[in-house]
Amino acid sequence: MDVSQYLEIFIDETDEHIQALSDCIMELEKEPENMEVINEIFRAAHSLKGMAGTMGFKRMQHLTHDMENVFQEVRSEKIKVNGVMIDLLFKCLDAIEGYLNNVKQSSNEGTEDNELIIKELNDFIKMAEGEAAEPEAPASEPEAVPKAEKKEAPEAPASNKEKKYLSIELDDTEKDKLKEAEESGLHLYGMTVYIQSDCLLKAARAFLVFRAVEEYGQILVYSPSCHEIEDEHFDSDFSFIVASEEVYEKVYEAAKEVSEIEEIVGESLKYETMVGRAETEENTQPQKQETSVQAPAKEEVKTPQVAAKPAASGNKKQAVAKPVTNRTVRVDIEKLDALMNQVSELIIAKNSLVSISSVESGSFQNQSFHEQIEYLERITTNLHESVMKVRMVPIESVVNKFPRMIRDISRKLGKKMELCMSGEDTELDRTVVDQIGDPLQHLLRNSADHGLEDNETRLAKGKPEVGTIFLNAFQEGNNVIIEVGDDGNGINIEAVRAKAIERGVITEEQAESMSKKEIVNLLFMPSFSMAKEITDLSGRGVGLDVVKSNIEALGGDVEVKTELGIGSTFTVRLPLTLAIIQALMVEIRDEKYAIAIGSISNIEDIPVKDIKYVEAQEVMHLRGKVIPLIRLDKVLDIPPREEPESLTVVIVQKGESMAGLVVDNLMGQQEIVIKSLGKYINNNNKIISGATILGDGEVALILDVNTLM
Amino acid sequence: MINSSLEMSEMESKQYIVVMVGSEQYGIDIRFIDNIVRMQKITRVPKSQHYFKGVINLRGEIVPVMSIRSKMGLEEDVITNTSRIIILKLEEKGLLGIIVDEVKEVLNLGENDIEETSNKGKFIYGVGRNGEDLISLLEIGAIVDENV
Repeated sequence: MDVSQYLEIFIDETDEHIQALSDCIMELEKEPENMEVINEIFRAAHSLKGMAGTMGFKRMQHLTHDMENVFQEVRSEKIKVNGVMIDLLFKCLDAIEGYLNNVKQSSNEGTEDNELIIKELNDFIKMAEGEAAEPEAPASEPEAVPKAEKKEAPEAPASNKEKKYLSIELDDTEKDKLKEAEESGLHLYGMTVYIQSDCLLKAARAFLVFRAVEEYGQILVYSPSCHEIEDEHFDSDFSFIVASEEVYEKVYEAAKEVSEIEEIVGESLKYETMVGRAETEENTQPQKQETSVQAPAKEEVKTPQVAAKPAASGNKKQAVAKPVTNRTVRVDIEKLDALMNQVSELIIAKNSLVSISSVESGSFQNQSFHEQIEYLERITTNLHESVMKVRMVPIESVVNKFPRMIRDISRKLGKKMELCMSGEDTELDRTVVDQIGDPLQHLLRNSADHGLEDNETRLAKGKPEVGTIFLNAFQEGNNVIIEVGDDGNGINIEAVRAKAIERGVITEEQAESMSKKEIVNLLFMPSFSMAKEITDLSGRGVGLDVVKSNIEALGGDVEVKTELGIGSTFTVRLPLTLAIIQALMVEIRDEKYAIAIGSISNIEDIPVKDIKYVEAQEVMHLRGKVIPLIRLDKVLDIPPREEPESLTVVIVQKGESMAGLVVDNLMGQQEIVIKSLGKYINNNNKIISGATILGDGEVALILDVNTLM
Repeated sequence: MINSSLEMSEMESKQYIVVMVGSEQYGIDIRFIDNIVRMQKITRVPKSQHYFKGVINLRGEIVPVMSIRSKMGLEEDVITNTSRIIILKLEEKGLLGIIVDEVKEVLNLGENDIEETSNKGKFIYGVGRNGEDLISLLEIGAIVDENV
């Protein structure tokens, strides 16, 4: 069965369901009696099962099925939620995630049966039910309930399921096809298939129905059209006319085999009547036929088939909450990248128009030409913003797995702790969001493992017993800030200093002159771990340096603030956008460089005589601050020039530290498209973060202020 | 028809672009060549490997440009009117430009025209014979190799 085209949808939706399950189970742990949550879990588990089944992932289906059984018991109040159950459910969830990861990698669920978990699930049900219930009970029980509901419910819908195939409008070619088929001795059957309204992969169902039916004949007419069905442009039903040699029942049975089908109505058709009906709209004929059709339809209701159960729970779901339809589309990130590239090209083209218009000033000034260029400039800027916005996703998708993680760590370490998160709706570029998960996870684990003291120590210190870990995200100018921290013991500066000396990272003399902040920053050095013992959580010394390099690779940076005994906070600063930025263009001799506006605080002209020296380092005074000067020509290996009387200094800021970059000329602000330098050039010290193409086609390099400082 | 003739030529001979670097003729397998462009302004990239002259803008793409002389340890490039940048396309790392003094011709060399050499150095994998001329065939892999 070829369902590969639905694989992506499956992966996305399974991810969502797993997340929903995880959230709900956490909730359930707090409020074991909350019926709404239990229902929610049941629904999510059920959808998972359905989707896994469609995709042919039998093992995954099996596991989710048994999970669903447990919830069925909980729903019918036969089992009480307890700690054992919660742990077991999390185990299931991890196993399902394992399947999903296999699917992601190889389009295959893998061969792990997870028999142990399944056995535990079944044992749990048995145990909870006690001796009274026989082992078979869980399997049959869930069906009993829905069946009862089903009996009353479908009666009504069954009668109002229209035979939509009767109203298919036939065009001439279709008429010809039907006529031809009938003349060659085939039977024509019209069928309308109703899919359960909560079915997740409707197009897939339709596809499966078509496949099944085509085993016996050829489908001649589709309504809606084949394409619309493929694109899922239909509500919950579709109709078709099939030409077959077989009797109707065979075709009907084949179609009915497909799961999550609510109902199929159909009958044998005659070409004459079909065409005749289309012309006259008279339909005494169909009414007569209705009785003959009703039989198989009713049969379906009675047959205790697997599909019946999902149907019942599905109907219930609708009653509880049919979410307001989100008018959204899923778009492949690659398509957005392509769109972004095109916007980038457009901006480059616009920039070159701007530069032509400014060069060709002189006597002939065409007013409207300039107006149009300004207009174009506005449009491209807006377009860029819109595309950027489309690419923005809330960090929620990454951070919402953290509460579960902290819960697990808390259990493992036997420390009580709580994660408080805020600003989960803060948005970042999709590429950044995809890569920020690991660094944040590292920081949180660090807080949980090293940051927080154990409960006794906390009580002894007069702190609340339960430790608090926090994650706050918010936007600040062109950056998004994510703070991760705890109210634990903070970083012991002296211990870090001692460790650094012991490791030979710094000498004792160096240690003497280092500020508190510099010492703390040693933690970001490769292989520098403070943990006394290596645990599987942290302590291998591959933590903070990886965090730092990951974040820097995204164009961001990370800082620590710590107070001994009170806690520490890691501040991660990330750029809002990656591809297009506002930059200040500067000139040093004949070379042009771009500096991101976001990192510039101001621009000063200072007389050379005002330069002071602190420890052989050039500094300037600005409003009471001492700011080190960086001679860009020296850093960038540009031949020196005769020292002018005053220097143009671009003051840049990174967190709280500042530096003054000495340049020759300022060329103005410009929107630039960041391009990579490629894989060949080994830009060792990362001073250059990329390149951009200027309006005149020339290449300018982008300075990375973070590495310069 | 077309297919079989293509196969024939592939089996028997390969096409090379013959370029001048200094006084020597080099042959570059045409399969590696994306484009040949005139000399243009190269933007220097500070702190890069010494043999990289910098980057150019090739239809909106940033392409690094290497001085093949500098890479092979020869004297500095002399840029003239005939200087060209050969844009090589390598699957794993993308586009790369190399500076040559002159592009001469496209040449078909059969297996019989090529002699394997062992004493020509790491950048050459063979010598092709074109009438009286000898053409050193460039080993592209060595040119882009960081460690050579």
